[in-house]
Amino acid sequence: MKPLALFFALALASVHAQTPSPAIPRTADGKPDFSGIYQWPTYLPGDERGHSNATTFDRKNFAPLKPNGETFLEPRTGDARHDEPRDFCMPAGFPGGILSGNAMQFFQTKNYLVMVHEFQRMTRIIPLDGRPHREGLEPMYYGDPVGHWDGDTLVIETTNFKRWALDDYYYTNPKEFRMHSDAFRTVEKLRWKSKTALYYEISIDDPKIFARPWSQEFEIVAKPEWETAGLYEYVCEENNRCPGGKCESK
Amino acid sequence: MKRLLLFALLALAVALPLFAHHSFAAEFDDQKPIKMTGTIVRVEWQNPHIWFYLDIKNPDGTTTTWGFAGGAPGQLMRRGIMKDRLKIGETVVVEGFRAKDGSNNGSGGRLTFPDGRMVLTAGSQDRVPPQSTLSKP
Repeated sequence: MKPLALFFALALASVHAQTPSPAIPRTADGKPDFSGIYQWPTYLPGDERGHSNATTFDRKNFAPLKPNGETFLEPRTGDARHDEPRDFCMPAGFPGGILSGNAMQFFQTKNYLVMVHEFQRMTRIIPLDGRPHREGLEPMYYGDPVGHWDGDTLVIETTNFKRWALDDYYYTNPKEFRMHSDAFRTVEKLRWKSKTALYYEISIDDPKIFARPWSQEFEIVAKPEWETAGLYEYVCEENNRCPGGKCESK
Repeated sequence: MKRLLLFALLALAVALPLFAHHSFAAEFDDQKPIKMTGTIVRVEWQNPHIWFYLDIKNPDGTTTTWGFAGGAPGQLMRRGIMKDRLKIGETVVVEGFRAKDGSNNGSGGRLTFPDGRMVLTAGSQDRVPPQSTLSKP
């Protein structure tokens, strides 16, 4: 009886090791499938933002600043075009845009993951086929992402950003806002943490500002009930009535 | 009643992490809260924010049309607030903050309808005056 039990135990262990967990959605080639509609990335329970000068990126998670790293604290000047260009429908950029409080939809094929965020209709096309970053391009608001698989985790490395706001609109310090430099790069990790939610981590690496990379964790909750309506159109220029605090008359 | 309570709690949970949106910080003065009653005369169900306009009676008997910005249409629709919830001719109470330029504009974070139902019309990152409960749209 004992050898039989051992056999079954070994067989079971072998099956377990060879067969990917069936609990998560998978593509035909066995990769985790992130296709679906989701809520924007939210904080992990117990890690909610505070109530003043709240921001996506919690100061307590920051790596130490390098000497002269304070340059990423950009003083507000009172000129709205400098202080909040997004108020004039300029791009939110990454990672600020993806953290905006709107729905997003992911489409996955063998070679691409496409993330479409309702806010500003931000679209990220992430190659999954192992190609390197593109070369010779001007720095971008959303950078140049490439993805690769680490087991069931999708790792997305994004480079070639232009200097732009690090934070999303939650950061409302009246004296300054925070910018990443043009040396900024991000590493995101995405995996299913349950049947209904993704684990999502953004690592910030900005060697002109921080002494080392640092990261913040989020959760992305699946919202299949939003599939019927899908994403709504978002054209920021359509009716942006009070840009910079000067309301256009109607 | 239990369902209503649950909804109120859920609505509150949605409402709690409300801070300034890009437009909010740049456009509205969070030191100047407003609460006004008026009749809906126009609704613009457009991005980046819905705008609705109320005819508001002044103490001297004249009427002024005020404009109020809410959240993005998509944010409201996922909360169950569709465009036809804001009916022309209906009298509502709006709560929000005045425009920075002192014009007859403001943020319209919360609306109370004649039947007493109160809904959150703010964007997910807009500031809203403190509230106790919200109703189902």
